[in-house]
Amino acid sequence: MTSGIRRRVMLTVGAFGAVAAAAIALAPLVGSTPVDLRRALDRSIPFDQNVDAQILFVARLPRTLAGAVVGAALASAGVVFQGLLRNPLATPFTLGVSAGAALGAMLAITFNWSFAAFGISTVPMASFAGSLGAVLIVYALARARHSGLSTDVLLLAGVTMNAFFSALILFVQYFADFAETYRTLRWLMGDLDVSSYEPLITATPLILAAFVVFAWLARPLNVLSLGPDGAASRGVDVARVQRSAFLSGSVVTGAAVSVAGPIGFVGIIIPHLVRLMVGPDHRVVLPASALFGAAFLVGCDVLSRTLMSPIELPVGVITALIGGPFFLWLLVRKS
Amino acid sequence: MVTRQKIMTPQALLVLSVLGLVLAWLPLRANMQAPPQRIVSLIPAVTEMLFAVGADSQVVGVGSFDHYPPAVENLPRVGALLDPDLERILALRPDLVVVYRTQADLKQQLARSKIPIFEYAHAGLPDITRTMRQLGIAIGRAPEAEKVAGGIERALDGIRKRVAERPRPRVLVVFGRESGALRGIYASGGVGFINDMLTIAGGTNVIAQVNRESIQATTELILARRPDVILELRGTSATAQEIATMRADWNALKSVPAVANDRVHIIADERVVVPGPRVAEGTALLAGALHPQAFR
Amino acid sequence: MLRAADVHFAYRTGTPILRGVSVDVQPGTLTGILGPNGSGKSTLLRILAGILRPSRGTVTIDDVNLERIARKTVARRIAVVPQETHLAFDYTVLEVALMGRYPHLAAFEIEGPADFDIARNALRTTGTLGLADRLFATLSGGEKQRVIIAAALAQIAAPGSADHALLLLDEPTTALDVGYVLETANLLRDLQRERPLAIVVCTHDLNFAAALCDFLVLLKDGEIRAAAATEAVLTPANIRAVYGVDAEVRYHDSARHLVVVPLGRVGTSPP
Repeated sequence: MTSGIRRRVMLTVGAFGAVAAAAIALAPLVGSTPVDLRRALDRSIPFDQNVDAQILFVARLPRTLAGAVVGAALASAGVVFQGLLRNPLATPFTLGVSAGAALGAMLAITFNWSFAAFGISTVPMASFAGSLGAVLIVYALARARHSGLSTDVLLLAGVTMNAFFSALILFVQYFADFAETYRTLRWLMGDLDVSSYEPLITATPLILAAFVVFAWLARPLNVLSLGPDGAASRGVDVARVQRSAFLSGSVVTGAAVSVAGPIGFVGIIIPHLVRLMVGPDHRVVLPASALFGAAFLVGCDVLSRTLMSPIELPVGVITALIGGPFFLWLLVRKS
Repeated sequence: MVTRQKIMTPQALLVLSVLGLVLAWLPLRANMQAPPQRIVSLIPAVTEMLFAVGADSQVVGVGSFDHYPPAVENLPRVGALLDPDLERILALRPDLVVVYRTQADLKQQLARSKIPIFEYAHAGLPDITRTMRQLGIAIGRAPEAEKVAGGIERALDGIRKRVAERPRPRVLVVFGRESGALRGIYASGGVGFINDMLTIAGGTNVIAQVNRESIQATTELILARRPDVILELRGTSATAQEIATMRADWNALKSVPAVANDRVHIIADERVVVPGPRVAEGTALLAGALHPQAFR
Repeated sequence: MLRAADVHFAYRTGTPILRGVSVDVQPGTLTGILGPNGSGKSTLLRILAGILRPSRGTVTIDDVNLERIARKTVARRIAVVPQETHLAFDYTVLEVALMGRYPHLAAFEIEGPADFDIARNALRTTGTLGLADRLFATLSGGEKQRVIIAAALAQIAAPGSADHALLLLDEPTTALDVGYVLETANLLRDLQRERPLAIVVCTHDLNFAAALCDFLVLLKDGEIRAAAATEAVLTPANIRAVYGVDAEVRYHDSARHLVVVPLGRVGTSPP
């Protein structure tokens, strides 16, 4: 019991890490096209002519890694936002991040913008910019009335931003033609087919940096669940913790959404499931959720690729189809 | 003695004949009524058809996305598939409105106002000429419609013959994707007028077995099907710079034969995306990209 | 030890809550802060704990301004037991008690065996050790209160330190039945006897204050009306002036403390 927490963290990370590693290793082997693994790894065939290797390393591996990174990002962001808002029903999208991202993406698609930089193409850039814009507005609103960051005002500002951006999205849609509207809708359902490592190379460092902040936030978030006064009286710098949680959580979410669109339910199912398995201590829940989220989204991507092959179901549809019944089950279980 | 059962009395036969003549005469009478003079069209392809058969003076309103022929820019616009403006349509006092089959609400409202409609449903290539002929009858220009439709069919036939002997490359036809990236790629499946154009132009669709008009092609799909040629269709014009950029985007999939052999063609022309009277010209553009030797 | 000097406080909206309040808490004392609703009791408590900053005036501990001391350092000496605790997640009782050790640990440090012992002892002191593995959310109001007191004790536990610590409680008896009220009073008195602790209790339960406290501070409209020993403060005159209530105050022999019997609102006579 004395080194209890350290041991629990290590056991949990080990177990969930093994699951995530297995998912990442096995997912590229499954798909709509049969792939000969031996041929794919055969070095004697030039890469450009090795179809099996192409499918494995150009089509499937990048999207598996993207699924892992995005899944880890969304799941752990969910934990952080739930800790910040002290509400297990909070999601990474509660405070307006995804609405801003959706508006950015929609503007880029509708007006056919074209500004690529740092190896990122237009739509992801526009969506990340949109999410940052939404975050800054929400932050400014929440700070206006308090020297700290009132979570009530934060929640209100976030919900308001969601509504406002959704209205703007409808307005922009008026200027879009049928095809553009369809493409935006499709983007909103999530798409992990990154087809190259570039989006990951840009998004992953941001996400990893945020993970470092998460590690520091883990224990203060525990104490924060006693309420801001309770935490302050225990020596927690509440304003700093709230600010860090909000900004790092939003950056992670914005980066994840810019890679694959706003994939829902990952940020709320995984934290719930993980807490059911390992308890609410954020020091265990955060790494476990990141790893489990990675495995979960990689699994959902496999389903999206194989259920109706060669047609691909949007991965957001898969997570929703799993998430809905999950919540029903939770509800039935609680009563 | 076997008596033959009388099927009909002579009187009954007479009544039936008169009735039959009257009933046969009624549609003739409808046709002999004055053809519509105030036509509103919400569909770009049909607007083109109307002008192609010489009904320019009969058209009083067009859809938001109608741009050909240039004369339509002077006509009032009444919305399109998602946002038809009933007020504007009614204000033009039309006697025929061309609507999409799926615009149930609009059809209901027009029926209440007793305005005749011509229903259009998006379909394959043969349906273009069929629609033209039906439209011709509906607007009293059947002979002109027959001439234009016949011309299209002969032109298509000509293209078909020119490429008949040539080997058919395996083609991926893309008609939409994210700019600057190979994401959100929409390609034509085995049905629809784009697929039909491709067949006539002398190509084989690599995803022909998917019975959908539009499918989102994933990287894996493209890598697995290995098209010899990629045709990217775009309804708006593009500068040389834009075309070069669009072609360069495909370099991420170097192992695809089309990319390796530099057979990625960007066709930025309205005629390849509008299933209207200029579809033969569009098909010729596709054929020219697939079989340059035959179309020098 | 803990001194508030001429403290003024107003929220951003401008309504003044405290006007020039001065309080002096000596080590080893039991002080009560009394006053009607809206008199500023809770605000004063939070200012004393360092959770809120006064708009004007200072709060010092051992003559050092609270604002100059790091929060964690302050938290090691001053612990607050709030009126209610709503936990957002399903922590166990032991985990809640361990949260009290937060100010004693560095950023990535993990609780050690000493911390676990301190937490357990604190739970034992408040009679809740048997609940250690239960979920906090499943406890009764009285049990929750005692666990939070234990967490507060764990927070200010500093074996080997000679620094005096403070325990501040905000309306500790609101959610409790009369049995638990008695228990809490006994517990607090025992605590104060066993270790060099100063206890400040915010309450509007006059009898609870009379039973527990040696010193009373009477607040009305953000100002101090009286601050002295219990007997001096708890008089019918003061009660009438501050609460608008006619009351009888007498010494109860069996309970061995003052007892306040409210008789009626000022201006109305009892039936």
